[in-house]
Amino acid sequence: MAKDVKPTRKNLMQIEDRIELSERGHDTLEKKRDGLIMEFMDILDQAQDVREDLDDSYQRAQRAINMARAMEGDVAVRGAAAALKEHPELTTESKNIMGVVVPQIESSKVQKSLDERGYGVLGTSARIDEAADAYEELLENIILAAEVETAMKKMLEEIETTKRRVNALEFKLLPELKDNQEYIEQKLEEQEREEIFRMKKIKAKKEKEEKEAREAEQDAAEAATAD
Amino acid sequence: MSQEIGVIGSPEFTTGFRLAGVRKFADVPDDDKDDQLDDAVEEMLTDDDVGIVVMHDDDLDHLSRGVRKDVETSVEPVLVTLGGGTGSGGLREQIKRAIGIDLMEED
Repeated sequence: MAKDVKPTRKNLMQIEDRIELSERGHDTLEKKRDGLIMEFMDILDQAQDVREDLDDSYQRAQRAINMARAMEGDVAVRGAAAALKEHPELTTESKNIMGVVVPQIESSKVQKSLDERGYGVLGTSARIDEAADAYEELLENIILAAEVETAMKKMLEEIETTKRRVNALEFKLLPELKDNQEYIEQKLEEQEREEIFRMKKIKAKKEKEEKEAREAEQDAAEAATAD
Repeated sequence: MSQEIGVIGSPEFTTGFRLAGVRKFADVPDDDKDDQLDDAVEEMLTDDDVGIVVMHDDDLDHLSRGVRKDVETSVEPVLVTLGGGTGSGGLREQIKRAIGIDLMEED
């Protein structure tokens, strides 16, 4: 608060330096925020496309498995599901977008050929294969969505933090510093005015004393000549 | 380090994923979701081998507030919800909060 600072020239200079630094930081952070939002917009477009594909493939997969269940029975589908040998694996690498580390997910063993799946071909039907195909495709889309949505989440966090910093500088720190600056400037001006007034008073008092001394001298000289 | 995909949901939801080779899954029958889903999600979130958690968007409503927030904001593992359209899984809200406008408003 303005009342906490001592109104000295040294403090004023320090506050002026801090204001300059904060304004520079504020500009830089604003640019960072705008840059992040632009990058985010690009990712958002991509995410919307990925989401559409994901929803389509989910519906396709659901249709396929419902068909398999209806034709083969739930037990057969579950039996086939329990027999899978190969499991999809993910490896994550990272990419840097304006200081935000976003993941790049690589997958393996998602799309499998019939003989890699592990359930018996004779005991199951083409419906189950179709359902497995559809779900493998869905998993590919899920992995893509996970990559894009994680990037979005991380960028949103960074945008939020940057925005909060910009706002703190703009609405809290800078106004406070400027208040302090104004307070010190006013106090210093007041001190200067008081000083001038005091000097004037002293000068007037001195002049009066000198005048009185001169008059007394004159009176004394006049009295001496009269004698 | 290689990770896997985890699926949480009703047995009908998880079976298809198991058919595609997913082995980390938690079956929670529809009737027990209010009681058991929180634990299943928490367990999946603490599993270091899981890189992506897949859930149905409607199932998020069965979670308690804290767990729901944890799973929605989690990055490792990341949550992907199905059946909720764009901006599901809390993303839309997060965008509204961070950018200030609803970018996912349907035309």
